[in-house]
Amino acid sequence: MEAWVISNIVTSLLLVSSVLVVLAVRRSRMWSEAMGSLWKRRPIAIGVVAFYLAIGILDSIYWVGGINAGEDVVSAHEAKSVIDRLFADSRERSYSAPLADVEFYGSAPLENPGWHLMGTDLIGRDVVYLAMKGVRVALLIGGLTSLIAIPLSLLFGISAGYFGGRVDDVVFFVMSTLASMPTLLLLIALIMAMGRSTVSICIALAVTSWVGFCRLVRGETLKLREQDYVQAARALGVSELQIILRHILPNLAHLVIITFVLTFSGLVLSEAVLAWLGVGVDGSWGQMIDQARSELSRDPVVWWNIAAAGLSLFGLLLAVNMVGDAIRDILDPRTLRESP
Amino acid sequence: MMRVAQWVSSGAGVVRCVAVFACAAFALSCSNSPYPDRDDDVKILYSVYGEAPKTLDPAVSYNVSSSRIISAICETLLEYHYLKRPYELIPGLAAAIPEPVERADGTVAYPFALREGAMYQDDPAFELGEVGRKTRPVVTADYLFALKRLADPAVNSPVAHIFSKIVGLHAFGERLVERRKEPSFAALPLHEQYEAVGPVEGLVAQGDYAFEVVIDAPYPQMLYWFAMPFTTAVPWEAIAYYDGNEGRPRFADHPVGAGPFRMTHYDKQFRIVLERNPNWYGAMYPEWKAPGAVYPAEGEPADLEKGITSDALAGRQLPFLDRVEFRREKESIPVFNKFLQGYYDKSGINKESFDKVMDGNQLSEDMAAMGIQLDRVVDLAIYYIAFNQADETLGAPAGERGKKLRQAMSLAIDAEEYIELFHNGRGIPAQSVLPPGLFGYDADYRNAYREPDLARARALLEEAGYPEGVDSETGSPLKLRFDTYATNSAQLIPIRYLVDSWRKLGLDVEVESTTYNKFQEKVFNKAHQIFQWGWVADYPDPENFLFLLSSGMAGPGGPNSSNYRNPEYDALFDAMKARPNDEVRAETIREMLSLLEEERVWIELLYRESFVLFHDWISHYKPPGFEFSTLKYQDIDAQARAEWRRENNKPVLWPAYVLLAISIAVIVPGIVTLIRERQ
Repeated sequence: MEAWVISNIVTSLLLVSSVLVVLAVRRSRMWSEAMGSLWKRRPIAIGVVAFYLAIGILDSIYWVGGINAGEDVVSAHEAKSVIDRLFADSRERSYSAPLADVEFYGSAPLENPGWHLMGTDLIGRDVVYLAMKGVRVALLIGGLTSLIAIPLSLLFGISAGYFGGRVDDVVFFVMSTLASMPTLLLLIALIMAMGRSTVSICIALAVTSWVGFCRLVRGETLKLREQDYVQAARALGVSELQIILRHILPNLAHLVIITFVLTFSGLVLSEAVLAWLGVGVDGSWGQMIDQARSELSRDPVVWWNIAAAGLSLFGLLLAVNMVGDAIRDILDPRTLRESP
Repeated sequence: MMRVAQWVSSGAGVVRCVAVFACAAFALSCSNSPYPDRDDDVKILYSVYGEAPKTLDPAVSYNVSSSRIISAICETLLEYHYLKRPYELIPGLAAAIPEPVERADGTVAYPFALREGAMYQDDPAFELGEVGRKTRPVVTADYLFALKRLADPAVNSPVAHIFSKIVGLHAFGERLVERRKEPSFAALPLHEQYEAVGPVEGLVAQGDYAFEVVIDAPYPQMLYWFAMPFTTAVPWEAIAYYDGNEGRPRFADHPVGAGPFRMTHYDKQFRIVLERNPNWYGAMYPEWKAPGAVYPAEGEPADLEKGITSDALAGRQLPFLDRVEFRREKESIPVFNKFLQGYYDKSGINKESFDKVMDGNQLSEDMAAMGIQLDRVVDLAIYYIAFNQADETLGAPAGERGKKLRQAMSLAIDAEEYIELFHNGRGIPAQSVLPPGLFGYDADYRNAYREPDLARARALLEEAGYPEGVDSETGSPLKLRFDTYATNSAQLIPIRYLVDSWRKLGLDVEVESTTYNKFQEKVFNKAHQIFQWGWVADYPDPENFLFLLSSGMAGPGGPNSSNYRNPEYDALFDAMKARPNDEVRAETIREMLSLLEEERVWIELLYRESFVLFHDWISHYKPPGFEFSTLKYQDIDAQARAEWRRENNKPVLWPAYVLLAISIAVIVPGIVTLIRERQ
């Protein structure tokens, strides 16, 4: 199956499941209250995150044909996303400054004068378009990596914390081994070994980032297994699996959400570092910054490429972090008691 | 802490403290000179290198930055005329350019006569031959020793295959390997090993100052190899002495030669210093007026205007410089800044500063006002996109279809725009394999497939059976692959541009970027499809470019990485190779180029143009279009430079004073409080 079909399927599955989640949240009093107070605390940050999500989704829905191909004949029979279609005919020849009418070097008139909000790059691509294409990549890196790392940490963390003994020893040994390796070197080695694709970079990031959360889950499970209700369940002869699913996992839910939000931004940032080292994902903001590195020392300076990528990265990370902090304040029992 | 407090608590201490700060600020801002020594009266040329040289062994080194240094230290038998274009050979340590003698058995002999009395630089290594000896004459045996080293597998010379044309030299290498299996033999010094293995038929000594090199078949380009450091004389003492033991450096880090300069300081990560060699034949025997030892009288007509040739200069004794300092700079921006401050004498123009330095086709007014001058030279090099001819879709197996496809792809690439976008316009759109400056280059020649013409390209694509990039036989879009080892995203942008140009035709070319090793593996296995490559001349002869497409060079690891095999081309190539530069040769080259024009094995992209900036205290500097040493011909006016540096590096003192004022403003109240609290 072609990649764009998979992208469409995954996107629709995500949309459906998020509708289901919203419905579930509405049914549960605790969660709907929590979400309500989250919205009250951080309306702007949530709006920004939603905006990024919308762009990411619009860039994940593909279909073939119906495009004004212009000069690019190949795109007529290629799958293009909504964002691609919006910018289909925006190609210029070379650099142009934001909202300019003419090229940056020389003064040949542009094809779309005054249209490029953040100018165009060396080979005339619209910078806003490139920055928007980066959104999907960032969400993919953050999301996919978390989807790999969090179940991994839950599995190992809970089994280590709940069963203890040998299992704990093994898990802890693996964790210490990974934690004692220099993260960046391990990342690069993994990417080199698996090849440079989005999925392999996500796997590499997941391998290096699950340890911290796993340790947290293990500690929390150690605490939970001594709780009265767990002891009671055990005395009544409930199976281990049942106990984990019914008593341990739900009590870790708030941790999962908080960690997801906070590691998300860390991962997007890690990718930017990797791109700078030449092993990033194609089309990411990190790569845009890497490409634009020498443009800052041009005279006159070409600043819009790096500014657009930097601002997009900054905007997403700031909003996500603010939402994450608010979620922690709301869900974490320790802060819950202190907050008014 | 206590001591400081006591010291400042007295009134005198405060004054002293301020005085120290003032002195420090003044001293810091007084000079930005990176050189500790005074150089107002010494003619020192300051130059830069990026990569630390891996080796300075003349038999091994094959890269630009180290060959620049080696060719100043080691005198070659022949060398290039400094000013004449097209490039011309003149005798160096050879008394004359040898006339090749064709023999009845098909071999060709080159009789070399050496200048009698030429000496090596002073070096402790020569004590090995005779106690107390500092130098000795350059003799035949040194050349034969050096040529044998090229065939020695242990030396691992990159040009061994070229010199295996010398009769018996390859067999010599094999005998050597065989004998080295005996440990007692392998322990002998190198020159004794060579002697024991026996003579090479193609290297005939004729006394101390003459010898003959015999090659197995006519190869007129052979002479150019005697203008390269590979064939310079190597004294056996230097090899035996500089073995890396007992604190002595290896020979690769300490070349010993008979050139105009000698190396006096070698700290390869930071600084390399060459100084005038008093033993150089030009300095010892000025009365010889050898062509390589005096400034040339003739040049190109334009040289007269620029003052590069004049009656006053002609015949003056070389070298002019006392010392050459190479400093390592890892980044290009500091080099340019130091050049602007007068601390480097020459500089290229980096991409970022280009628009500041240049105003259209000329130097900007700011630069001209600083007395900076510009010279440009088209490099003897070509950059091209190539198709693997072994490929099923694009290459020879696809026959006429593949050829039309290649022609269409060639018509889609706008070299002029490419040069403008990625090289700041520094280059000439290439029309053929041969860059300007070579015999056979025709400035009026226009390649029918190298002017962008999308309409014609589309028509050709349709003829090839791929209308709009869709295979009319299968109905599926054609997918092609551009193989590259560029992984850095900034390097991938030019490739993106090329790919986008082909998209205009409907051709979907995917960029596959891998590590260099993987890329080489693909080329080795002929699994590559489209790739980008360049070739820089070894010597100024069209053969050095046209051989890249001859089938003799095809095959795993060979330089014909596009695997082009065409008997017709090969026949023309063989005919061209052995001809002197006459009309017949020109006609053969024309035929070859028109063959390539139709075949489109390559899309010739550009001839790069180097822009060299230099300060006006450098006189009669003419940049060469390929790598040969010009250091001995350059001259600088050290006093003018010192003057200029003082003029243009006046310290800007106000920030220091502001800083001083701020620190006083911060410190004095603190001290006052301290004193008050103590009381």
